[in-house]
Amino acid sequence: MLRSINLSEDTKPKLKVKVKCNRQRTEKVGYLLLLPFYSFYFLFILLPVTAVLFFSFTNYDFYKTMNWVGLKNYANLFQDDIFAKSVWNTLRYGMMTVVPQMIFGLAVAIALNGNIAFKKFCRSAFYTPYIFSMVAVSMIWMWMYDPSYGFINSFLSAIGIAPKQWLFDARYAMNAITVMSVWKVIGYNMVIYLSGLQSIPSYLYEAAVVDGANSWQRFTKITLPMLAPTTFFLFVTAVINTFKVFDAVNVMTNGGPMDSTTTMVHQIYNKAFMEFKMGYSCSMAVVMLIIISAITLANMKYGNQGNDLDIG
Amino acid sequence: MKSTKKNKGYYLISVIMLISSVIMLIPLIMAFFTSLKPLSEIQTNATTILPKEWMWSNYAEAMKEGNWLRYMYNTAFVTTITVVVSLVINSMAGYALARIPFKGREILFFTALLGMMIPPQVTMIPTFLMLKRMPLVGGNDIFGMGGSGLMNTYMGLILPYIAGSFGVFLCRQFYINFPDSLDDAAKIDGCSRIRAYFQIYIPLSKPVLATLAVIKASGTWSEYLWPLVITNKDYMKTVQIALPAFKQETGTIWNLLMAATIVTCLPLLILFIFAQKYFIEGIVTTGIKG
Repeated sequence: MLRSINLSEDTKPKLKVKVKCNRQRTEKVGYLLLLPFYSFYFLFILLPVTAVLFFSFTNYDFYKTMNWVGLKNYANLFQDDIFAKSVWNTLRYGMMTVVPQMIFGLAVAIALNGNIAFKKFCRSAFYTPYIFSMVAVSMIWMWMYDPSYGFINSFLSAIGIAPKQWLFDARYAMNAITVMSVWKVIGYNMVIYLSGLQSIPSYLYEAAVVDGANSWQRFTKITLPMLAPTTFFLFVTAVINTFKVFDAVNVMTNGGPMDSTTTMVHQIYNKAFMEFKMGYSCSMAVVMLIIISAITLANMKYGNQGNDLDIG
Repeated sequence: MKSTKKNKGYYLISVIMLISSVIMLIPLIMAFFTSLKPLSEIQTNATTILPKEWMWSNYAEAMKEGNWLRYMYNTAFVTTITVVVSLVINSMAGYALARIPFKGREILFFTALLGMMIPPQVTMIPTFLMLKRMPLVGGNDIFGMGGSGLMNTYMGLILPYIAGSFGVFLCRQFYINFPDSLDDAAKIDGCSRIRAYFQIYIPLSKPVLATLAVIKASGTWSEYLWPLVITNKDYMKTVQIALPAFKQETGTIWNLLMAATIVTCLPLLILFIFAQKYFIEGIVTTGIKG
């Protein structure tokens, strides 16, 4: 299918070559322009991803030992309570952030899509947390959550609720991190939803009004279905980002207390760079790669269906 | 939403959204005011919002704790080089994949797309090993042993950042919309592909390059995991590494901590204010194209 005809050198046309490609030929300068990118891409993405597969079958310890151990690392993963806990924490993080951030994002987008006062200020206010780094935002929220002097406990005690050890109590630590994460990404969801809302043709609403649909019906029968591709995209991205959570956890709690906030990447990092169990850590990375690839491929397969939603 | 007439709903939603916006900003506002309070004021009653005494000197004091000028310089340098090199190689590759016919183009593009789904968290261990064991660099012998390789170097920090394929995808999608007649005209005038790239395509690519630059700059400035892996010396810290380390060293001197945090946020804030259009553009294009 991708066969090309080299017209410049091959003047005698071969009959077996399909003539459907009208002007495809090879210009070598293409490879030249692609070369710098592909060198980096090969060295820092393709090669490492192959290497991570290889290391995951060894017991490499960063110094001397490197023996082929077959599937032993993967077998150990299933018996590793802390890894199981990190997977559970990652899923818990996802359950507490993905849907809330989308609901808040949609609500804010709808409110700020209409005609209201201070629209620009409100959009910026919701968006600002998203532009800062996760580390900086974590520092700010560590101060908010500070047990003795932090804003949240001061506020709670002012309205008569006992202060809590937010980040130092296994019951609350993960919730505290998820609240911060949702706060940070509402603005991102809002921006994506706003662009989705603005692509809905207004005649749909006009026709609905003529037909006597009330605002709730317009929302459920027009807005939500028309936003389905946007929602699907935001959902997939948020799920993928869930599996990458590391910065906030490492900065705010370092996985504690009692491993209640350790996540998959946090375990990969700890096993590789604190305990130097490189081989074992690579098997965790492979598990993560499989999960993320599965989600991405499912997205490629099913994700575009929404885009065919054509009512033109 | 249909009528532009200001009814009861207009005022109600405006007020609700205004209050919500202020609630969203509380952590940032609190961080700013805290950075200006004297320590005694923080540790007595945190319920006051405004500082009684505005201590702008907190900023100078925070910067004196640790080598902040150096950290800022490190981060700015790494970010600048990453952005410049990424722009050049990504737009070149995107141009080739969009405009120049050559054998295997589709498969090369598809392979580059695959790279977008490989998270850097997965490849960081082999990448670290490769850079640390780089032969004949940083005290290493020919087998890559003995020294620290590219650890604690700008090279080690930057190299993995410029490998990402997202920019190629972005540029290719941009260049593919150009009309074929542009290439034909250039060819008739005897203009080579390379010259066409520099003299026709580059001048027309300001929007896509600005978007990519903003995405790359904010991503690189905010990166935490990779600098944590590849540096362990104080003089090579980036600001994102320096902040948590500052917290560990100084404990809970929140006013200085918040001052340092705000200083590390300022470049992103400035970038956002001056390149807001491209910031949003970047998010929405990334958003729609994935």
